[in-house]
Amino acid sequence: MLHEKSAHGLTVAAANAAAKLAGIHAGMRFSDARASLPALMAEEIDREADARALRLLARWMNGYSPLVSLDGEDGLLLETTGCDHLFGGEAAMAVSLSGRLTQTGYTHQIAVAGTPGAAQALARYGGTESAPQILPSGAERSGLCELPVQALRLSPEATTLLRRFGLTRIGQLYEIDRKALTRRFRSRQAADAVCLRLDQALGLRLEPVAPLRPPPEHAWRLACPEPLTQAAGVEAGLQQLAETLYADLSGKGLGAQHFVFTAFHSDGQVSDVSAQAARPVRAADHILRLFREKIGKIDPGFGIDLLLLEALRTGPMDMGSRPLSGDLAATSVDEVALSALADRINARLGDGTVSLTLTDARHAPDKAERRIPFTGEMPSAEAGLRDMQGLRPVRMLGWAERVDVIAQVPDGPPLSFVWRRVLRRVVRSDGPERIAPEWWLHLPGQAARPAALPRTRDYYRIEDAEGRRYWVFREGLYDDGRGQLPEWFVQGLFA
Amino acid sequence: MDIATLKTKGLLRAVSAAPAMPAAFPFGLGLAGLHEVAEAGYGDRAAVTGFVLAATRQAKQGAWLWISQTKLAGDLGHVSQAALRQMQAVMPQRLNVETRTLAEALWAVEEAVVSGAVSLVIAEVEAADFTATRRLTLASGRYGVPVILMMPQTCEGATAAATRWRIRPRPSAPNRYDPQAPGNPRWRAVLERCRTAPNATGASFDLEWNDETLSLSVVSGLAAGPAAPRPAERETPARRRAS
Repeated sequence: MLHEKSAHGLTVAAANAAAKLAGIHAGMRFSDARASLPALMAEEIDREADARALRLLARWMNGYSPLVSLDGEDGLLLETTGCDHLFGGEAAMAVSLSGRLTQTGYTHQIAVAGTPGAAQALARYGGTESAPQILPSGAERSGLCELPVQALRLSPEATTLLRRFGLTRIGQLYEIDRKALTRRFRSRQAADAVCLRLDQALGLRLEPVAPLRPPPEHAWRLACPEPLTQAAGVEAGLQQLAETLYADLSGKGLGAQHFVFTAFHSDGQVSDVSAQAARPVRAADHILRLFREKIGKIDPGFGIDLLLLEALRTGPMDMGSRPLSGDLAATSVDEVALSALADRINARLGDGTVSLTLTDARHAPDKAERRIPFTGEMPSAEAGLRDMQGLRPVRMLGWAERVDVIAQVPDGPPLSFVWRRVLRRVVRSDGPERIAPEWWLHLPGQAARPAALPRTRDYYRIEDAEGRRYWVFREGLYDDGRGQLPEWFVQGLFA
Repeated sequence: MDIATLKTKGLLRAVSAAPAMPAAFPFGLGLAGLHEVAEAGYGDRAAVTGFVLAATRQAKQGAWLWISQTKLAGDLGHVSQAALRQMQAVMPQRLNVETRTLAEALWAVEEAVVSGAVSLVIAEVEAADFTATRRLTLASGRYGVPVILMMPQTCEGATAAATRWRIRPRPSAPNRYDPQAPGNPRWRAVLERCRTAPNATGASFDLEWNDETLSLSVVSGLAAGPAAPRPAERETPARRRAS
């Protein structure tokens, strides 16, 4: 028995079959339970661990169906349409699932029905025998007839109200006039909820199900007759799956950008690795290379009995052929080969390692460029570059570094300055190149205080006695009325 | 005997001749093989970058892969797209890779060379030992992708690279329009090691980069003397220290 703290002190949160036999049920006071059965074994419930275990189990259920969703705190809902034939029909699938769950040590109740509502009602209230219950599609009306109304997932108030009317079984609701039923409820919503749940269970209204993971667009399974215990076996399995993938996708003219490789262990564990590509790919050796660095994370442990390779974000593949000769090509950049290289680097060093530099049409030099992850397409080399600008330093520091400067007031170039703890005497200088802040981003009314606005910058190109050339700027003017004195910064280094 | 038989007997095989390494300046820098360009002192990275961009302006067109270690990029900044545009006649397509460790950076260099997808690999790394440079030299020669390693001033010792340059900035050329302003950048490039032309080892070049004609010229020692004389200092009444 598991207990938890509630508003009424310790109460029973869950009880196993033996405790239930002794009359202990969830919701009763812990002291009452202990009094009725002094030998009761009690432990505090850990709901977080339960939720984690349920999610793990849900992930493992992906071996049976790609669409698995959570149902409350203690249930899982599988969409088995199109999956049952892999196991020899619904009955065989339910039996196999039940057997695996028993091996893992979970008590469970399985029901298969045509609608999520009916399956849920049958699994939770359909009886205590452990054999899976199977309700053929279309037989919901007769199958649910004898179940209590609680099975319809109603609020406790609605259940109590229905019981007061004398409606305890679902079957009794079939013949009742809907309008008459609505009138008995305090609010229209409460009555509508009852009708909605009833219709959903009977399949008269659709019930959307939110799967835990987005369903893959294509998936390939490899069931292992003998559990795999060697890492080499996993690699061979991946290779076989990748070749099937290649054959299938090339038939459709498709490629995919995201691959998930999942191994289902025989002890109920699941491990998966994923790899991304910059543009749709399908070549088996490329996919293998993407997984090569990561496949070591899959530890066969006690054995793996199912491998699954899923392809997400599929799209048409670029089928252009390579130019015959590099000299004749309009561009010598082979984007397909570049993406393959970027994929390999990203697969090993982390997504987003390979980046592009984009140029924005902005005046502020530290905002004119930004880096974005490479997504398989090179921008036009000239994009965003402006011709009309002064010389730019070959190296831009990551951020402008504040320096102590001796300079002529108000607008002379620096005479000497300390940068990185070394005093540098300025021999020659050029400037200023005045770059005003982007006033259109700071229109009146948007900015609170004038002191918070960016200040005008005067950039100077200077050279010190050793021949090193710097790009420094003075932020602000002496008479711009901002209060504090202007400050000097090093922005970059000239060649 | 047909060709297939010859091939199986090893009498006939594909020969990929390495491009001949020119035995004159810049000794194949950016054209073929592995080259190291090192700073002469801390803070000379801008001169190193300028020299590399100037010497590679005739490199084969295509995509560049610029690899750097995160901590070096944080210290030395990055190469701006605007400067690349100003120094290269044809703007190269550039991909950046930032890695945490040296081993990852060298791995990325080799991977890029082997892939053949890029036309030039430039890597800013903190060190590269003989084994690493040997490996990269072999890969570069085999796949025909030139590699340039930009190294800090601590770069010493044996290397398998074709050349090792050491670059220091020099006072810039006189500015024709304003004697007080810096002119065209000048560098002194010392060829510390050179495998293609061993008797050029130790040669030093005083170079000047013209940013209008995009040309690199060797200037004589005399012209590369001290900066142009400055006009007499004017009396400046108020000099103050601005924080």
